[in-house]
Amino acid sequence: MIEKVANILLVEDNYIDIRNAERALQKINANHRLFIAHDGQQALAMLRGEGVEKINPKPSIILLDINMPKMNGLEFLTELRRDEERKDIKVFITTTSDHETDRALSKELGISGYILKPIRINNPGSSMDNFNLLIDLLNLKK
Amino acid sequence: MKLSHAIFLGFTVILLLFSFTTFVNFRQSQAVKENTEWVARSQGVIRDVLRYQRNISDLQSSLRGYFLTGDESLMEPYYASEAENKQLISELNQLMPAGSLQLKKLKVIENLNMRWKTEYAQPLIEARNRADESDAAANTFRRFYGEKIKSQFEKQVNQQMRDEFREITNIEYGLRSTRRAVLDKSVAQTRSLSITLTVLSIAAGFSIALYLSYHISRRINEMVSMAQRITEGKFDTILKDTSKDELSHLAGSLNRMARILDENISQLERKNQELDRFSYVVSHDLKAPLRGIENVILWTEEDFGDNLPPKMLEYVGLVKKQINRMSNFIEGLLALSKIGRERRVLEWVDTGQMLTEIIELLSPGSGLRVIVPGKMPKLYTEKLPLQQIFINLISNAIKYHDRQEGQIAISYDEHDHVYEFKVTDDGPGIDPQYHQKIFIIFQTLKPKDEFESTGVGLAIVKKILDDRKCTIRVDSDPGKGASFIFTWPKAAA
Repeated sequence: MIEKVANILLVEDNYIDIRNAERALQKINANHRLFIAHDGQQALAMLRGEGVEKINPKPSIILLDINMPKMNGLEFLTELRRDEERKDIKVFITTTSDHETDRALSKELGISGYILKPIRINNPGSSMDNFNLLIDLLNLKK
Repeated sequence: MKLSHAIFLGFTVILLLFSFTTFVNFRQSQAVKENTEWVARSQGVIRDVLRYQRNISDLQSSLRGYFLTGDESLMEPYYASEAENKQLISELNQLMPAGSLQLKKLKVIENLNMRWKTEYAQPLIEARNRADESDAAANTFRRFYGEKIKSQFEKQVNQQMRDEFREITNIEYGLRSTRRAVLDKSVAQTRSLSITLTVLSIAAGFSIALYLSYHISRRINEMVSMAQRITEGKFDTILKDTSKDELSHLAGSLNRMARILDENISQLERKNQELDRFSYVVSHDLKAPLRGIENVILWTEEDFGDNLPPKMLEYVGLVKKQINRMSNFIEGLLALSKIGRERRVLEWVDTGQMLTEIIELLSPGSGLRVIVPGKMPKLYTEKLPLQQIFINLISNAIKYHDRQEGQIAISYDEHDHVYEFKVTDDGPGIDPQYHQKIFIIFQTLKPKDEFESTGVGLAIVKKILDDRKCTIRVDSDPGKGASFIFTWPKAAA
């Protein structure tokens, strides 16, 4: 198997959720680099290299929280889709609830799926499929 | 105009009309009485006049008898009539109006009579008195009497007197008929006037009664229906009353009362919504840190589970239990605060089918039977809240049941506007002193560590029913099972 390093951008303001994501990705031993932004603005800055080091190559996947200060997930997503260079990046919404509205939202916003928080490989429920999809996408499954 | 003034004025008008009617009738009766008196006087006049005339005739005939016989006793009626005539004349002078034509004619008759007496009767009487003394005197008398008769003096005087008498009586009869006509006319006038006045009074009385009953009862009815609307919870109701009387003051007061009620109720509703929002926000925000703690504990277990000393493992286990309890509380609080915030959706609900599904979901175990009647109502209502009530009540009955065998029976009664559903179990029952307490949030009758219960289920049931102005009561005694009886509207408001 060809060794491939994937860049993942996690946009999340909650420290616990960041740690959970880190742990989950560590557990599956993904060959990845995880970048962390604490809000939408910071995420955009990191993607574009505005004032901070640019994520290079651009991330294959963005894990996006909705409720964040300064610029929330939906605002960030709108901004991202306008960005010609980066509009095709696959986005997963991270959420604490497993409601119909989230599914509807994911379709409407053209996202790849949603992942139920806390992000864990053995977190039961619908997030499992999405997490597996995430792993597939990363092409890192062993 | 004030109502009391209107009523007073109305009755005054009626009273005045009736008083006037009475006055007019009284005046008329006086006129009739006057006329009766006048007719009596007139009859007196005619009677006296006729008697006077007859007396004159008697006077002349008795004189004639004396002249023929010389018998002086025949002169007695003469003097008697003469005396009576004096009396009659004085009476007639009083009965006839002073200066009247009749009185003048009476004077003429009196004078004629006097002439007859002085020029005819007295000279002849003197001659006749002397006639018995000698033949010559007798002859003188006869000659003298013959001349008098020949001169036709007496005849002419009598003729004149007769004419005057006839005229007097004619005048009297004429007066009488004139007075009769006047009286008849006034009686007719009075009659029509008093009929008119009576009709007017009755009409006025009727209009006032109609006005009052329509004006007052219509407005009172409006107030009654306003009060009705208020009891139905429509506080924005307003009475329009443009009059300026006691009832419009009352209407104004009612409007003020409704406005204040409306304000207070709206404020109360706002406060309740704020409270719901508050508990929603608080419980929602409490979830994140709790989840954090839960995660850290999980990491500890995952990363060090095998290396942790047994005591530490035990403490971690205790922390997890407490987290679980806290989580249950927060979920309960969230569920409670969500009631009333959710959109109300109406659909056809077959309660029988709904209960079957609920029982399947709750799976009470082999020992407990849940009995649902074959025929249960179908109604167009909010499905989810009704379902939530049944779930909570039945799951409570299952959860608190203290024996291996038992049954839970569902039944219902149909009333005018509501169904009354009943969930009865044969479990341990509830002491009446706790019947109110069980509906308060986080109140459980067993120690929390001992029993998996958050004390939210019945609070949710109560809140759903309160929001829909429905009621719930519990009928139970220790050892005798419990019945929870609640109402549900047949038609959604």
